[in-house]
Amino acid sequence: MTQGAWICLLAPLAGAWTITVMGDTISRRTAAWISTLSVFVAFGGALATFVGLLRRSEEERAALTTAWTWLSTGNFEVGLTLLVDPLAATMMLIVSGVGGLIVLYSVGYMDGDDEERRYFAYMSFFVFSMLLLVQAGNFLILLVGWGLVGLASYLLIGFWHERREAVAAAKKAFIMNAFGDATMALAFFVLIWQTGTLEFAGAFEGAELMSSTALNLVALGLLGGAVAKSAQIPLHTWLPDAMEGPTPVSALIHAATMVTAGVYLIVRAHPLFELAPSIQDLAAGLGAITLLVAGLVALVQTDIKRVIAYSTMSQIGYMFLGVGLGAYGSGMFHLMTHAFFKALLFMAAGLVIHHLAGEQDIRRMGGVRRVMPRTYLAFLVGSLALVGIPPLSGFFSKDSILAAALASGGYGAILFVAGLLGALLTGIYTFRLFFVVFLGEPSPLVKQHAQGHDSGHGSGEGPWTMTVPVAVLTLLAIIGGWVQIAGVWHPFGDRLEVVAESLVEPSVVQDYVASAFAVGLGLLGMGIAWAFYAARRRRELPRAAAARNVLEHKLYFDELYDALFYRPAVWIAGIWRRWIEEPLIGGSITGLSLGARRAGGALGEAQSGYLRSYALAIATAVAVLVVVFVAVQ
Amino acid sequence: MTTALIFLPLAGALLVWLLPLPGRASGVLATLIALAEVALFAVAVGRFDFGESLQLVDRQSWFSDLGVSYHVGFFGFSLWLAGLTVVVCAAAIGYATWANRERARAYHGLLLFLTGSIVGVFAAQDLLVFYVFFEAMLIPLYVLIGVWGGERRAFATVKFVVYTMAGSLLMLASIIVFGLSQGTFDLVDSGVSSNDWVFLGFLAAFAVKAPLFPFHGWLVDAYRESPSEVAAILSGVVSKAAVYGLFRIAIAKFPEPVQDFQVPILVAATIGLVYGSLLAFRARDVRSVTAYSSMAQMGLIVMGLFSLNELGINGAILQSVAHGLVSASLFLLAGMLETRTGTSAFARLGGLARGRPDLATVLLVVGIIALAVPGSVSFAGEFLILAGIYAEGWGWAAIGAGAIVLAAMYMLRLISAVLHRSRGEAVRDEALDLRPAELAVVLPLLAALLFLSASPNSITERNFPIQRADVAEAAE
Repeated sequence: MTQGAWICLLAPLAGAWTITVMGDTISRRTAAWISTLSVFVAFGGALATFVGLLRRSEEERAALTTAWTWLSTGNFEVGLTLLVDPLAATMMLIVSGVGGLIVLYSVGYMDGDDEERRYFAYMSFFVFSMLLLVQAGNFLILLVGWGLVGLASYLLIGFWHERREAVAAAKKAFIMNAFGDATMALAFFVLIWQTGTLEFAGAFEGAELMSSTALNLVALGLLGGAVAKSAQIPLHTWLPDAMEGPTPVSALIHAATMVTAGVYLIVRAHPLFELAPSIQDLAAGLGAITLLVAGLVALVQTDIKRVIAYSTMSQIGYMFLGVGLGAYGSGMFHLMTHAFFKALLFMAAGLVIHHLAGEQDIRRMGGVRRVMPRTYLAFLVGSLALVGIPPLSGFFSKDSILAAALASGGYGAILFVAGLLGALLTGIYTFRLFFVVFLGEPSPLVKQHAQGHDSGHGSGEGPWTMTVPVAVLTLLAIIGGWVQIAGVWHPFGDRLEVVAESLVEPSVVQDYVASAFAVGLGLLGMGIAWAFYAARRRRELPRAAAARNVLEHKLYFDELYDALFYRPAVWIAGIWRRWIEEPLIGGSITGLSLGARRAGGALGEAQSGYLRSYALAIATAVAVLVVVFVAVQ
Repeated sequence: MTTALIFLPLAGALLVWLLPLPGRASGVLATLIALAEVALFAVAVGRFDFGESLQLVDRQSWFSDLGVSYHVGFFGFSLWLAGLTVVVCAAAIGYATWANRERARAYHGLLLFLTGSIVGVFAAQDLLVFYVFFEAMLIPLYVLIGVWGGERRAFATVKFVVYTMAGSLLMLASIIVFGLSQGTFDLVDSGVSSNDWVFLGFLAAFAVKAPLFPFHGWLVDAYRESPSEVAAILSGVVSKAAVYGLFRIAIAKFPEPVQDFQVPILVAATIGLVYGSLLAFRARDVRSVTAYSSMAQMGLIVMGLFSLNELGINGAILQSVAHGLVSASLFLLAGMLETRTGTSAFARLGGLARGRPDLATVLLVVGIIALAVPGSVSFAGEFLILAGIYAEGWGWAAIGAGAIVLAAMYMLRLISAVLHRSRGEAVRDEALDLRPAELAVVLPLLAALLFLSASPNSITERNFPIQRADVAEAAE
C-alpha cells in the first residue's frame, strides 16, 4: 500500500526529470507522452493505495512511511514522511486522475508550440508537487509541497514568457502565495516551540495544552496560507490574472487541484482549527464573502476564462464555508465534484478557444453550438453541474454544504442566506456565459473559423487527445455526485469521518429544504440570464454603470495592494538609496579615503629618516599599548 | 590531514607562479590542483567522525612562552565551511581558466593562494594563526580586484582595503589583549572573557567581513568591479569567515558580552536583512541584486547565530553553505551573461530564455533556490534560523518571514529581467547558450544544491553535536 503511495508520488517527478535531462534528444511528442504516462502511472499508484486502504479495517486506515530524515536539530526532527489515509487517498485519486486527463488533453492543445518539452516537464512537476502536498505526513513536508505547487503555478502561468502580462501575472501569483507560505511558517514556529514537533498527531496532541492566543495565532497563520493558495478574499487577486497561462493549466492548477489545497489544509489540520473556533468561523465567513463577491464580479467579465476563474473562487468559497462550519465531508465532496465539472468547463472553453485561434473575448463569440455541437453539450453539462441542477454532481455536493449551514445555528443561517444568493448568482453568470457563447447566430469570428478545421482534425472539434478527456469529464460531471445522496447513502463522507469527524449533522429535512431553495434560485438565475442574454439577445446588464465599473475593477483590490505594499516598498527603497546608501555608506568612505590621502601626506613628512625619531615613535607606541593592556586588565 | 588541506593550494600557488607555462596551461594546472584539493576534502570527510568534537588536529608549538602554536583542526560545522570553500574555489578557478584572464599565472596563483588561506581560516584553532590566515586571505583579494577588476577597480579596492584594514586592526588589538590576558592564544585551551571592548574589537572585523549593516560600504563596489569568479568567492566563501569568527570566537569565548549585545546585533542584522532586500529589489543589474541579496542573507545568518539556540545556529551553518553555493553560482552566471552581452544591466537584457534552454534552466533553478522556495536547502536553512529566532521574540521571526517575501520579489524580478519578455538591446542572436565548459563549472554547484535540497539533514545532522562541542558549552 505504501509502495503505491511512493510510486504515485515519484512517477511524475521521474517524468519531469527525464524530460528536462533528455532535452532535445527526444522529440516534442515523446516528451508529451512521457509526461502523460508518468501521471497515469501515478493514478495507478493512487488506485492501488485506495484499494489497499479499503482492504483494511477502519481503525487501521492510516499509515506513515518515511524515506529519510529531511531536517533535524537536537530533538527537533522532520522526516520525508508520507501519510496514507482516506483523506490523502481521495486527494491522490482526484489529483492524478483529473491531472492525467488534463495532461492528455494538453497533448492535443499544446501540439505545435515550440517549447512543448518545457511545458510537459512543468506539468509533471506540478502533479508531483501537488501529490507531495496531499500525501505529506507532517507540516513541514506539507509546506514543501505547498511551496512547490506555487512554483509550478508560477512557471506555468508564465509559460509564454515573452508576453509581459503573463510574466507579471506569474510573479504576482508567486509573491501572494509566498506571503501565505510565510504566515504558515510562522504558525509552524509556534507549534515547534509549544509542542516540539511538526508531526500531525504530535502537534494535535500538544496543541490541546496551548494557550488560546497561541492557538488562534497558529490557526490564523494556517488560514493565511489557505486563503492565499485558494484565492479567497482578501488574497484573491492573483487568480484572475493567472488566466494568462495556457488553458489546460487553468483547468488543472487553477480549478481542479491547487486552488482547492486550502480546503484540504483546513480539513487536514482540523483539530487545530477546532481549538480556535473563532478562526474557523472566520474561514467560513471569508468563504461566504468570497462566493458572493466573486459571483458578482463574474457577472461583468468578458473573458471566457476569467468568468470561469471567478466562478472557481466562488465555488471554493462554498468549500471554505463548509469546512469552516466543520462539515469536512461536504467540503471535500464539493472539492471533488468541482474538480470534475470545473475542469470540464475549462477544457470545453479551451476547445472553443483553440477552435477560434486563441480568441477569449466572449463579445466576439456567439452561436458556437452550430460549429461545435459536442463541445456545446459538454459545456451545457458542466454549466448545469455548476449551477447545481439535479441529478448532476454539483447539486449533491453544494446542497450538502448549504444543509450544513442550515444546521449550524444563527451564524449558519447568515451563511446559508449568502450561499443561496451565491446560487442565484451562479445561475446568472454561468448561463450568461453559456448563452452568449453558444446560442444565437454564429458571430463573424466563429463563421470565419468554421471552415478549414474540419479537414485537419478527426471530429472537427479537436483531436481525440482533447475530446476524449472532455468526454470522460462530462460523464464524471454527471455521475460524480452519486456517491453521496442525502437520505440515501453517504459512503464518501463516511470514509472521511475516520480522519475528520464532521461537527454538523444536518437532518434529512434540512437537506431537502436546502436543496429546494438552492435549485429554485439556480433555476431563477438561469431564467434571468435567459431573459437578458438569450431571449432579448442583450450582451450587457442594463444601467448601473457605477456598480459595473466597481465590479470590473474587481473592487479595486489591485489598486489597494499597490498603494499599501508595492508603492511603499519602492518608496522606502528609493529613500534609503538616496539618503542612506549613496551619501552615507557610499560617500563616507570616499571622504575617508580622501582624508587618508591627506593623512598620508602628513605622515610622509614624519618620515624624517632619523633613526632616533623612529625609535622614539616605536617606544611611545609600545608604552601606549602597555598602558592600554594594564588598564584593560 | 588538515595541514595538507591548507598547504596543497598554497604550494600549488607557488608551483603555478614558478612554472613558465603559457596562459591556458597554467589555468589547467591550477584547475587540476583545485580538483585535487576537492578530492583531499572528500578523503577528510571520509575520515571524519561526526559524533566527535574537534578532529584532524595538527599542532606544533610556535612561541611556547606566549602560548602560541600552529594549531589547526575541524569541527563538523567548520568542515562544511571548508568544503564549501574548496568546491566554490574549484569552480571559480575552472571558470577563470575558461575565461582566459590576462597574466594567467599570477591570476591563477593568487586564486589558489586565496583558497588555501580561506581553508586556513576555517581550520585555525589559535588566534594568531587565525589572524595570519585572515590577512593572507585579504591580500590576494586586494590584488585580484585592484589589477583585474572593472573600470572603477581602483575606487573599489581602496574602499575594500580601508574597511577591512580597519576591522583587522581592531581585531588584532583584541587578539593581543585576549591572548595576553588568557596566557594563551589557543582557542581550545583558553577560557572565556567578559571584556566588552575585546569582544567589540572582534565583532568589528566580522561585521565588516560579513558585512553587517552599516559596515557594508565596500560591498557593492567590490562585488561589481571584481572579475565574476572573484566576486563568487568573495560573496560565497569569504563572507563565511565572518560566520566562523562570530561562532568560534565571539560567541564561544565571550558568553557575557554576547548576551549584553545580543539585541543590538540582532537589530543590525535585521536592518541589514530588510535593507539589503529592499535595495536588491530596486537594484538595476544582476550583480547589484546579488550583492544586496548577499548582504540580506548574511543578516539572516547572523540572526540565526545570535538566536543562541540550537535551531538558529544549526540553521545559520546550513544557510551559510546554501548561500555560498547560490551566491557563487549567481556571480558566475553574471559573468557568463556579461561575456555574451557585455552588460548585466536589466534595462539592456531580456528574452534570453528563447533558444537558450541550458542558460534558462540553470539560472531559473539557482534563482528559485536563492529565493528559498519551500523544499530547497536555503528554505531549510531559513526555516531553522527563523524557528530559532522566534524563541527570542516573535517580531524577529515575523520580519524575517516578511523578508522572504521580499526575496521572492527581487529574485523573480532578476529572472524575468534576464530571461523573459522581449529581447533586450544588448542581446544579440549570436549570444550562445551555455558552453560545455561553462556547464562543467556551474553544474557541480547546482548538483550540490539539489542534493542538499533533497537532504539538508546531511549537513544539519553532521554539523556537530552542539551540546557536546566545547564551542557550545562556552556558549551556554
